[in-house]
Amino acid sequence: MTYHNLLFVLAVFFALWAVTAKKLLTSAIMLALLSVTVSLIFFDLGAPWAGVFELSVCAGLITVLFIGAVSLIRSDEEKHPEGRARFYALPLALAAFGIAAWFYLPPFLEELASWRRMAAGTTTLGLAIWDLRRPDLLGQILMLASGVFVIKSVFPRRTEK
Amino acid sequence: MDKGLLAYLLIPLLSAVIIPFAARSRARLADILANVTLLAGLLNLAWLALRPSVIAGGFADIPGDGFSLLLVGAVYLVGLCVTFFSAWFMEDGQANRPAYYSLILASVSAMTGVVTTTDFFTLYVFIEVLAVTSFALITTDESTKGIEGALKYFFLTFPASALIIVGISILMLSLGSLSFETLRIFMASDVPPGPVTFAAALIMLGFLIKSGVVPFHAWTPDAYQGAYAPVSAHLAGIVTKISGVYAVVKLATLLRFFDGRAAALSEMLMFLGLLSIAVGALAALRQKDFKRMLAFSSISQVGYIVLAAGLGTPLAIMGAIFHLVNHATFKTVLFLNSASLEKSAGTTDMEKLGGMEHSMPWTSWTSVIALLSTAGVPPLSGFWSKLLIILALWEAGLRGYAALALLFSLVTLAYFMVMQRKVFFGKKTQAAESAPEVGAPLLAPVVLMSALIVALGLLFPYFYAYAKMVAERILL
Amino acid sequence: MSVFAMDWYLIGLLFFVGFYCMLASRSIVRQLIGLEIISKAAMLTVISAGALTANLVLAQALLITMIVIEVVVVAAGLALLVKTFRVNGNADIWRLDSLKG
Repeated sequence: MTYHNLLFVLAVFFALWAVTAKKLLTSAIMLALLSVTVSLIFFDLGAPWAGVFELSVCAGLITVLFIGAVSLIRSDEEKHPEGRARFYALPLALAAFGIAAWFYLPPFLEELASWRRMAAGTTTLGLAIWDLRRPDLLGQILMLASGVFVIKSVFPRRTEK
Repeated sequence: MDKGLLAYLLIPLLSAVIIPFAARSRARLADILANVTLLAGLLNLAWLALRPSVIAGGFADIPGDGFSLLLVGAVYLVGLCVTFFSAWFMEDGQANRPAYYSLILASVSAMTGVVTTTDFFTLYVFIEVLAVTSFALITTDESTKGIEGALKYFFLTFPASALIIVGISILMLSLGSLSFETLRIFMASDVPPGPVTFAAALIMLGFLIKSGVVPFHAWTPDAYQGAYAPVSAHLAGIVTKISGVYAVVKLATLLRFFDGRAAALSEMLMFLGLLSIAVGALAALRQKDFKRMLAFSSISQVGYIVLAAGLGTPLAIMGAIFHLVNHATFKTVLFLNSASLEKSAGTTDMEKLGGMEHSMPWTSWTSVIALLSTAGVPPLSGFWSKLLIILALWEAGLRGYAALALLFSLVTLAYFMVMQRKVFFGKKTQAAESAPEVGAPLLAPVVLMSALIVALGLLFPYFYAYAKMVAERILL
Repeated sequence: MSVFAMDWYLIGLLFFVGFYCMLASRSIVRQLIGLEIISKAAMLTVISAGALTANLVLAQALLITMIVIEVVVVAAGLALLVKTFRVNGNADIWRLDSLKG
């Protein structure tokens, strides 16, 4: 159980680092590490497919996108750095929130857990997606198509100027 | 998912995929394809719902619960008006023309998905698609204002989605299923609700943020004002209504507010509704810009729908459904006319406009019809929906709410009167002198919609029969 | 304290970090980073709820869809960022305050 809790603490730590880091590149890398930690948590909870997707897509693809965008605007960010005071206050604010929540949240969450309703049948993931979540697949197709249209709309092929 | 209406989702998607290839050599083909797709869908829907035999039978043969069909009709109607309008509004050299029509069709397809789905997670998926398409549409003309509106929309709508997801996972934990039907059966039984209402409250909060109800309305005026002109009609007329308000109404019926279940949530919703009616109307009074005033008025009208949804009695739900449709008609007219004003007079600033009645008579008179309908003047359609909502409030014994709703309806009338005098009547200003009436193609959609406003008002008994059928099917 | 309550407590902290970042920052990239953290926390709640109720099959089916959505949202957000940068020459959201009222 300690390994499990350690992973969650590590996730919070990476998130904190990603927010407080001065350089945007560091932030992007910390975000990737956060994704890796989250995918390890998924493996630990017994959700390997979710872990694999998280690892390949979020830790891989999104990080590449982020680093690409960051390198494009980095020079401007360095010329006009924003005030750091608010970000240095974050660990303090987080500690205050954490201590306050420590007293109020756990009883609430324990009660939430006591209302749980166990699932009945077990099927495989593929069948569950195809039988139960077929409309979601349609939604995914629509989402990917709209993603392409968004990119086409934002970066149209410019003819002669 | 309602299988009977699946084609209305798939055909626009197909057409959206074809457009970039078809329009590669001839850009005008994109306009034609988009318009034909939506027109065909609309005609098909009209055949489905408005055949004489169906009307004579009291709409008993409508597939599904009737609510989806009605809203699919509204989506297609507004979509058609917007594409037809943009076909003549958009400049010829616009580089992202095919992508623009593809995005409109994709958003029509996503909205059809939203209104036909029967599952919370699928609802979430389609609403995300809708959000992605709509902020790309807002920035179509690459203006600074548009980008600002889009950014505000982006950074408020996606945290709201995270709230919805947390609600969905609590629902999964405590209910074991995400379908609407399970929730309805659960709420109808005597089992103590436990965290289910909490989950529903989180989901509802997310949708309230997305619909721009008052404490969360920061993005609405900016997005509507900054958006590319025809897109603001699309956005205000239908997109935000489907992505937020529809889900709130749906949840209100699923939670059985009329039974007194989830009473705290119901009261909260009614309070927020009244608050947005008040704040929207009062903020609209002091706006200087035509589009911005319309945006605040839109917040105020959404308040009426949320108020009725929070009450949840069959009469109130009927009022909410009718007001949702009416809102789509009159806000589309008003925003499309503001686009015409912008094109012709070059500004939407109310200080600079005046006496437009003389130079742009069609635009002015259609706007006046829509404004009167918004303010609830009989016999236009807006009157009936407000009447239903206020009657429902009175009947439920909430006299205070009814009186306040009526009072702010009068405030709406007041600010629109002020605006009409400034913009459409009175002396001609310099901007009005040099503003010619826009061409017939730009007027056709608004004239159609205005005719619809009058027709819905005059043919109210038929519509009442339809709305009654819908309310019975979704509540019982 | 049960494992579930501990997990959700820490997920709550993750949400706090994400929201704080979105509220405190002015740069669009940092806002996107905050959004990413929030969506990671939301994903964790789904899988954790699935694990608690032995319903991981459904939870994973949902999560795969969520990941696809997230990729498109982030790509669109970054496209918007690049567009802002091209039009305005900076990526600061408060410097865009042409709309007031």
